[in-house]
Amino acid sequence: MATFELYRRSTIGMCLTETLDEMVSNGTLSPELAIQILIQFDKSMTEALETQVKSKVTIKGHLHTYRFCDNVWTFILQDALFKNEECQENVGKVKIVACDSKLLTQ
Amino acid sequence: MADQVLEGSQPVDLAKHPSGIVPTLQNIVSTVNLDCKLDLKAIALQARNAEYNPKRFAAVIMRIREPKTTALIFASGKMVCTGAKSEQQSKLAARKYARIIQKLGFPAKFKDFKIQNIVGSCDVKFPIRLEGLAYSHGAFSSVSSCSVTGQNGTIVFPSLGCNLSVQYEPELFPGLIYRMKQPKIVLLIFVSGKIVLTGAKVRDETYTAFENIYPVLTEFRKSQQYGLEFIEGNEKERYIYIRLKENLQHVTV
Repeated sequence: MATFELYRRSTIGMCLTETLDEMVSNGTLSPELAIQILIQFDKSMTEALETQVKSKVTIKGHLHTYRFCDNVWTFILQDALFKNEECQENVGKVKIVACDSKLLTQ
Repeated sequence: MADQVLEGSQPVDLAKHPSGIVPTLQNIVSTVNLDCKLDLKAIALQARNAEYNPKRFAAVIMRIREPKTTALIFASGKMVCTGAKSEQQSKLAARKYARIIQKLGFPAKFKDFKIQNIVGSCDVKFPIRLEGLAYSHGAFSSVSSCSVTGQNGTIVFPSLGCNLSVQYEPELFPGLIYRMKQPKIVLLIFVSGKIVLTGAKVRDETYTAFENIYPVLTEFRKSQQYGLEFIEGNEKERYIYIRLKENLQHVTV
């Protein structure tokens, strides 16, 4: 099954990658296993976001740039307002990368 | 944009526009050949405001903000530019797209630029009797030209396969479609008095077509001879009055 690798660039994904790199370089983990773990991480992130995250966020801003290529949307927003149930925050510049989860099941 | 400001502030040239109304250009479609093969995926990945979904459409869809336009860029190097409000704006936009393609490393040229279509619109500010217009221009001139009875005596439905110059089928589309032969322009005429003119290659065709149709429109102006005397009349007339009023709600009497 295909996975989205975009969550590897998140803080938690970067930390996992760094740890795996370290373990591979000092020989406590085989590179093959490290790759398997990353693939599992991709799957688990997708699943967790689908099933365990209930909160909703709205993002509103001025669209500076957009792109659609290889089934990935990329948006750059300026002066964006992030809103959820509890709080809201203004961000000067945001990059949104969005993939179509339907493509995973195909 | 400059054109629009001029049109608004300068008096209308009545020699050119006897009606006193100048159709506003709403959309210009132009094409140009960049004369080099293009790697659409590379363009979509590098350029901003680009969409490329080859499963759906075999071109990159790109937009710029000034002049606000959309371009369809094909792998053959052919490009379509839409959305500009004037011929110059359309050409300027097409040049900007060509420059973007050049900056991405393609040897793009700017060959055979051509305006393909001009869409204009205007408002005659009075309601129009579309049935009357359709009947006088459609029922006699065009239906007779495309035989209602077929060769072996069977009836050929006039709106099928015939090139009607006037079509008014309110159940299909609320506007009357008028295909003018000279200049070759298609006009959409609405009850409200709003007119859309399309099919022009140069703006003068739009203007001429409008001046040609304007006397016809005044001929079929919906009469507004209803008033208090109708309300005081019998129930039937009252009903007609109410229906008329419903039809004309958007018209300032």
